[in-house]
Amino acid sequence: MLKMNNLSKVYRTQMIETHALRGINIHVKEGEFVAVTGPSGSGKTTFLNIAGMLEELSSGEYWLDGVDVRGLNDNERSRLRNEKIGFVFQGYNLIPDLNLFDNVDVPLRYRGYPAAERKKRIEDALLRVGLLSRIHHYPAELSGGQQQRVAIARALAGTPRLLLADEPTGNLDSTMARGIMELLEEINAQGTTIVMVTHDNELAARAQRNVHFVDGQVIDIAEEAASLLQSFSHNKAGAPAAATE
Amino acid sequence: MFAYYVRLGFKRLRRNPILTGLMILTIAIGIAASMSTLTVLYMMSGNPIPEKSERLVVPLLDNGQLENYIEGEEPPVQISYIDANNMLQQKYALRQTAIYGIAPVIESVRKDLPNFFTDGLATTADFFPMFNVPFLHGGPWTADEDANGTPVAVLSKAMSERLFNNENPIGRSFSANDRQYRVVGVIDDWKPLPRYYRLISGASTYGEIESMFIPLKAAFAQQYRNNGSTQCNGPRSGDGFEGFLQSECTWMQFWFELGPHQSRAALNDYLHNYITEQKKLGRYQRPINYATYDVMEWLEEREVIGNDSKLQTILAIGFLLVCLVNAVGLMLAKYSARAGEIGVRRALGANRRDIFSQFLIETGVIGLAGGVLGLGLSFAGLALIAQQSSSMETVATMNIEMLLATIGVAIVATLLSGLLPTWRACQVKPAVQLKSQ
Repeated sequence: MLKMNNLSKVYRTQMIETHALRGINIHVKEGEFVAVTGPSGSGKTTFLNIAGMLEELSSGEYWLDGVDVRGLNDNERSRLRNEKIGFVFQGYNLIPDLNLFDNVDVPLRYRGYPAAERKKRIEDALLRVGLLSRIHHYPAELSGGQQQRVAIARALAGTPRLLLADEPTGNLDSTMARGIMELLEEINAQGTTIVMVTHDNELAARAQRNVHFVDGQVIDIAEEAASLLQSFSHNKAGAPAAATE
Repeated sequence: MFAYYVRLGFKRLRRNPILTGLMILTIAIGIAASMSTLTVLYMMSGNPIPEKSERLVVPLLDNGQLENYIEGEEPPVQISYIDANNMLQQKYALRQTAIYGIAPVIESVRKDLPNFFTDGLATTADFFPMFNVPFLHGGPWTADEDANGTPVAVLSKAMSERLFNNENPIGRSFSANDRQYRVVGVIDDWKPLPRYYRLISGASTYGEIESMFIPLKAAFAQQYRNNGSTQCNGPRSGDGFEGFLQSECTWMQFWFELGPHQSRAALNDYLHNYITEQKKLGRYQRPINYATYDVMEWLEEREVIGNDSKLQTILAIGFLLVCLVNAVGLMLAKYSARAGEIGVRRALGANRRDIFSQFLIETGVIGLAGGVLGLGLSFAGLALIAQQSSSMETVATMNIEMLLATIGVAIVATLLSGLLPTWRACQVKPAVQLKSQ
């Protein structure tokens, strides 16, 4: 579904170069639920932005659902993004002037669906997140958890193959966060691949796989654990390496 | 998507009402100031007879005395009766007419009205078809009546109503300077803007038409003096009114209407030959000097559109530009506050062109609102201008073209001023905005 080979991202100003990502290799399979963790400034969000084609990569390869995104222009990227990816942000990012119907409508408009099809998809999506009865309400009239549900409905309405979530529960209390997580799990269970950036270890633990970022590099927790085990069995006399977080 | 963007534009008008209101007001004031002044200029400088303005030509002939001759001087702005009469007789063009102003005293037909002075015009039958004068009743007098000086008259609608109420007066008579005139025609509403056929003397350039028109010879029979400008330089060959007619005084305005196959060059040749012939008769002592002007050239020559009006227009357009620059600033502020929305839309699949279209159409909606409000303010501005004088009242009216132009200018000007803010909106980097929300 998502394949990054030796991918780097460098921000350059006149004075300094900042290496946000250093030759990362990530492979997310269809239907996976991957949690991306790591300290602040480790490159998680840069990774997510590049995965969502909101930023250009500096070097390396990025294949999204079999498409090499490096050669694509703005139009093609926008189209691919619209068709394949759904976004959920920490700050919900709903458009305050638009009611729920019109907010969920936004990606469908760019997809060019006819009115009847859009209406059906909007209603289905809002029904799925339990907010169909609030369809004509404005974001400001909803709680944070409800707004995030709308954002998820908006991401789902276009039936994307990949859902990218950047700290989707970061602004929510634990009860609401759990609700959102359950919703994401349900969506994943229905076949949508999910890549979620989170600070919350508890949530990360519920994902099928964790990818840990440190200083722009990836430590795949599963692989790391395997190699640790291996080195432990080879060197029984040595003390075990420090546990990963 | 266009309808979607228009709907978003209207929705957006209601958000941030103070900033939006300021923008609309700024545009509206600029539009009103420029369009009300432009309307006045447009009405002043419009072609009063576009269908044949190039074929209606004023000839000017220099019949002055040799002693005062200054080389390069323009010919006088009117011509003598001798020349007018000769050219009327020669019938060079499709039509030709000479006119001069008269001021008869009308004896009221109605008992309830006292006698009164009025503005009249002595001319020939060709005057009416030449200037496309519309008739409510009857029509022009005949060529025979011209030749015989028959006392017939064409009245303005206002005069007809004044004398005969709303009845059809054709065939009825009234008395002017103690002579009975038979009414042959009543002119329907006719308000040439400007009153181009008589730019010298008479009522103001933008005023009403004369109220009574009679044949030249009928006017001569009663020895109507010229109610207008007369210039006499040379000696007179006789006394009294007849002597005046046979003098070199210039006091009549003359018009040719060229036929479809007659050129200005040919008319100039005709005038050249005419002066050459007249020289043989002992007239035209100066070197041959004549000029011709079609309607628009004549308006230009007579400086109908004052430099004041032009300056006012330049100032008004300058003011519009200042308003638009302000609108650009306000739009930049408004659109930069929308960076978050742009980021979201980009993330959800909008390409740069989508964002550009959305914001430009939104700008167009603001322009439309500014235009509508500007139109209202323009009407108010024109009402103010109209209060200055009655002649301003005639030109300070908006026709359908100016009305549509006002809306059009508002939208186009706003779109132009929206280009920079819209372009800036397209440059928003979604990744930065989405995180900072």
